[in-house]
Amino acid sequence: MMLTRRRLLACSSLAGLLLAAAPLTASRAWAQAGGDATAFVVRLGNALVAIIDGPGSYDDKKARLRPLIDQSVDVDGIARFCLGRFWRTATPAQQGEFSQLFHEVLMNNIFGKIGEFRGVTFAPTTTTQREQDTLVGTTIKRPNQQANNVQWVVNQTAGGQKIVDVVAEGTSLRLTQRSDYAAYLQRNNNNVDALIAAMRQQIAR
Amino acid sequence: MLPSRPLRRTLSVVAIACALSACAAKPPSTDEAALADYRQNNDPIEPTNRFFYKINDGIDTYVLRPVAVAYRQVPGAIRRPVHNVVTNLAAPVTLVNDVLQTKPRRAGDTLMRFAINSTVGGLGLFDVATDWGYPAHTSDFGVTMALWGVGEGPYLFLPVLGPNGARDSAGYVADIGFDPLTYASFGGSRAVQLSRYGLTALDTRERLIDPIDQVKKSALDPYATFRSLYRQNRQDTIDRTRDDNRATVPAWFSR
Repeated sequence: MMLTRRRLLACSSLAGLLLAAAPLTASRAWAQAGGDATAFVVRLGNALVAIIDGPGSYDDKKARLRPLIDQSVDVDGIARFCLGRFWRTATPAQQGEFSQLFHEVLMNNIFGKIGEFRGVTFAPTTTTQREQDTLVGTTIKRPNQQANNVQWVVNQTAGGQKIVDVVAEGTSLRLTQRSDYAAYLQRNNNNVDALIAAMRQQIAR
Repeated sequence: MLPSRPLRRTLSVVAIACALSACAAKPPSTDEAALADYRQNNDPIEPTNRFFYKINDGIDTYVLRPVAVAYRQVPGAIRRPVHNVVTNLAAPVTLVNDVLQTKPRRAGDTLMRFAINSTVGGLGLFDVATDWGYPAHTSDFGVTMALWGVGEGPYLFLPVLGPNGARDSAGYVADIGFDPLTYASFGGSRAVQLSRYGLTALDTRERLIDPIDQVKKSALDPYATFRSLYRQNRQDTIDRTRDDNRATVPAWFSR
């Protein structure tokens, strides 16, 4: 069919309508993602509290926390972020070893906090969108302590929705960890093996 | 905008320190990623800072922390009023800064808190004002300068005060000037002022026992971790102050 002027006008107005509608559907999609992320964080929080406050020994709780964290937190993504610019220059063997050790260090840090978070309550506050991440704000109240504002950064990864960062009172977990590793590497000749050895020592402690 | 005199003085001290080669070695411009990291760290006098960190760490481990831990044994019924008094005494400085930041609602909160807690709250012993709808916050001249557009300046680790920055140290000095208690003379004796600083330091250190322990235990480079935490926290405080645009409601509006 010939592209008559009338058809062109019709096409462009249709395109205009679609373009106008697109932001609406996009924002609805964002809103949907936001709502999903909030629900995800609330579910995760409830599951964590159930384990921490629940029955069982310290080792039982560790055993039950581990799979929950593995499936809800993008540990490999965070590990890669935390190695920062040294990830590209590291060998695949170093990358693998680092990720594995990072996993252990993260787990140990979380397990160390189990006692501190007994009886904790939390409530979602505001959820915002930042590029591809959803920031779910919560207020976390530990007994006999002031309430803290903690934001959970949720991203849609290949394995589903996962936490990629935790921002406690404005300080980002993975940014701080990356500074730590970068400073350590800088003082050790950018040697990733030295970092790996230090992490192994940390876990052994 | 010309930097203020205390800031210029701080900057010239930093420049001198750099000249005396207490500076971190700047990576060559061929290593872009390292250079970007160096700029991002904003820590040109890192060796000097690390030196002060080590000294501070020693003082902290052998003096400050043990005293804070012992203070923690004191029942909370005594520690909480001490915290309230110390916070209340900081209200005038917070008020001056709220006004300078042109945040009327925050200034109003601070003024009401000071008035209520000093009277109904028994000279600041009890925090009644929060329950009456005036949330607590503190502010300082470093935040004020940040809201005026002053950049954070190089990172400084000061001997007793700990993590700081060029702008924030200048702000700290200015706040001493804003504090009416600095000028009050209690019969020529410095005892009241010194005990007030001492109690503030003790109260702060006791509240920070667990976070600082956690960092020292789990960080490979505690100095760098404290630096990162301090700067992120500082930026968050500045952002939250800037975004606090709650309006003051005129009296006729609520009738």
